[in-house]
Amino acid sequence: MTEVALSADEAPPERLHPLMLLSGLGGSLRGVAGGYAGIGYLAATGRLDTALILGALLLAGAIVSLLVYWRRFTFRVGTDELRIDSGLISRTHRSIPFDRVQDVDITQGPLQRLLGLASVTFDTGASGGSKEEGALNGIAVARAHALRDHVRARRGQAPAAVGTDAAEDARPLFAMDLRRVLTAGVFNFSLAIFAGLFGLTQTMGDVIGFEPFERQFWTDLLANAGPLTGFVQDHRFGAAFAGLLLLVLVGLLTGIARTLARDFRFRLDRTGTGLRRRRGLFTLTDVTLPLRRVQAALILTGPVRERFGWRELKLQSLAQDQGGGGDHQVAPLARDEELQPILAELGWQLPQGPLQPVSKAYVWTFCLALLPVLLIALVQAAVLAPLGLLTLALLGLVVAARWLGWRRTAFALGDDQLLVRGGWWQRRTLLLPLQSVQSVDLTENFIGRRFGTAGIRIGVAGGSGFSAHVIPSLPREKASQVRNALLSRFA
Amino acid sequence: MTAEPESEHFQHVERGYVQVIRVRTLLGWLPLVIGATVLDRALLDGWAIQGALPVAIGLFALISTAAAPPRIWQRLRYGLHPTLLQVLRGWLFHTDTIVPFVRVQHIDVTRGPWDKLFGTATLVVHTAGTHNSIVTLPGLSPERAGEIRELIRGHIRSDLE
Repeated sequence: MTEVALSADEAPPERLHPLMLLSGLGGSLRGVAGGYAGIGYLAATGRLDTALILGALLLAGAIVSLLVYWRRFTFRVGTDELRIDSGLISRTHRSIPFDRVQDVDITQGPLQRLLGLASVTFDTGASGGSKEEGALNGIAVARAHALRDHVRARRGQAPAAVGTDAAEDARPLFAMDLRRVLTAGVFNFSLAIFAGLFGLTQTMGDVIGFEPFERQFWTDLLANAGPLTGFVQDHRFGAAFAGLLLLVLVGLLTGIARTLARDFRFRLDRTGTGLRRRRGLFTLTDVTLPLRRVQAALILTGPVRERFGWRELKLQSLAQDQGGGGDHQVAPLARDEELQPILAELGWQLPQGPLQPVSKAYVWTFCLALLPVLLIALVQAAVLAPLGLLTLALLGLVVAARWLGWRRTAFALGDDQLLVRGGWWQRRTLLLPLQSVQSVDLTENFIGRRFGTAGIRIGVAGGSGFSAHVIPSLPREKASQVRNALLSRFA
Repeated sequence: MTAEPESEHFQHVERGYVQVIRVRTLLGWLPLVIGATVLDRALLDGWAIQGALPVAIGLFALISTAAAPPRIWQRLRYGLHPTLLQVLRGWLFHTDTIVPFVRVQHIDVTRGPWDKLFGTATLVVHTAGTHNSIVTLPGLSPERAGEIRELIRGHIRSDLE
């Protein structure tokens, strides 16, 4: 891409690849899911010919609409911006300045891989989940890479060749072999399949006669099973144990399958101006994350993972990771020494010196807030002993977890960096360069005020809106000092 | 900026804002009072305690409308430091927000119908943060809100140059 400066108006218009008609059909057919319910209903009620006609109509509609979409969709690549013209009746002319592009993501679905196509998404970091912004669904792979190099060269002012081809042979910054991916899968233990099953039986249960969440279903099944009933009732303990084992097995398999599909051949490279991540078994994704846009780093782990020395690294940037994940995962499962080179690429100086703990009021205020629940539990214990004891035990567990969390919560403040560690079950360590700070809140509530403590909430750009960065329960004086230090570069 | 913010650095907003909070509080209670009345008429008809629920909730609404707004107003203060905007607010839950001027992306001055009635305006400051990205300072006089907007705007401009 070494042409002279070209405005988007002068650039030749390009179309999506014609084969996109084939790969895009799946998506269009998925879009009319309501139609299938209609077909199914008609077929089930015996009106087969009507069902066939409806099916043919839906298929024809999908093909025609896709054809129109393809016919009316053109894009032009200028030196500084991308122009997309689309729409049949209401035409949209979108212009995306490359200066504003945070991320160029290349995704290849299974069918697209067969056909040699790729989807390119230009993430401008605009708020609102409109993924439609700047998506080219289905252009030739080579063109997709050329486009990305074009944007990257434009952003980094570096020759494009350095970015891709050289990195191909170079050692990756971080990569995961099959064994590592499988290990990561074990830690991604998930019972999501049961939620899926539950949803499925809620909607389809009546039709297929399989309702594992209804008591009636099991009693009927047992009544029909005859001798099996007796066996199960004789070995209740064994049956419960086997059921539990099955649950664990299913959870493990789900986790491994999902991780394998997502993280297969995970590879992270250092390119001209950022990090490039490639992964996927069926759907290949290729994401570039400009280093300059990284706002903060999160190192996550859990009690079990920590025991084996595993860590996960995520980077918070202005753009969102694919699948609405929020922060960009750059190392799903890695050793400390493997994280060092990635963090070194960011060029951040870690704060030196010991971590400072937070006030024990972190636990006490929590206990006070739980007082109403304790009262309920006591009443329960008086009226209905077993239930009350259960609630009391749960309360004890929750408080214990809070206490363990307090023991792990600590922070360190360097000249340019803030490090916050916290959580016992979800162990997260936040690395925040002070230049990423957008605003700082000092919060107190009417319980914490009795202990003279206040919390600090830090506004940082990007990330997954729900997880604010906080330092909880600091003595009032200390909280003020920390806040002033956080804001010192703006004073 | 000193470690502990001194009180003379902070300014209260317009006194008229108390009335704005009062009207909002009252309107906030209205659906509850209506709901309680309907519930009382429909379900508790003929019970000994009929009439107690709407009266209790109505009383509570009146008390909170009388007592809370001055306290909320008392707690709402702001400070304009050379490079920072500081907003203190909250009655039970204190929040003390600081926004560096250079972090401001854009600024709104909004006036709702109650604001117009009582001569106040709300300054809304947007930062790039995802959490806490919108900081509001209500109850300013429209002129003051305009002044602060110009002040912050000047900083945004000088940062770009």
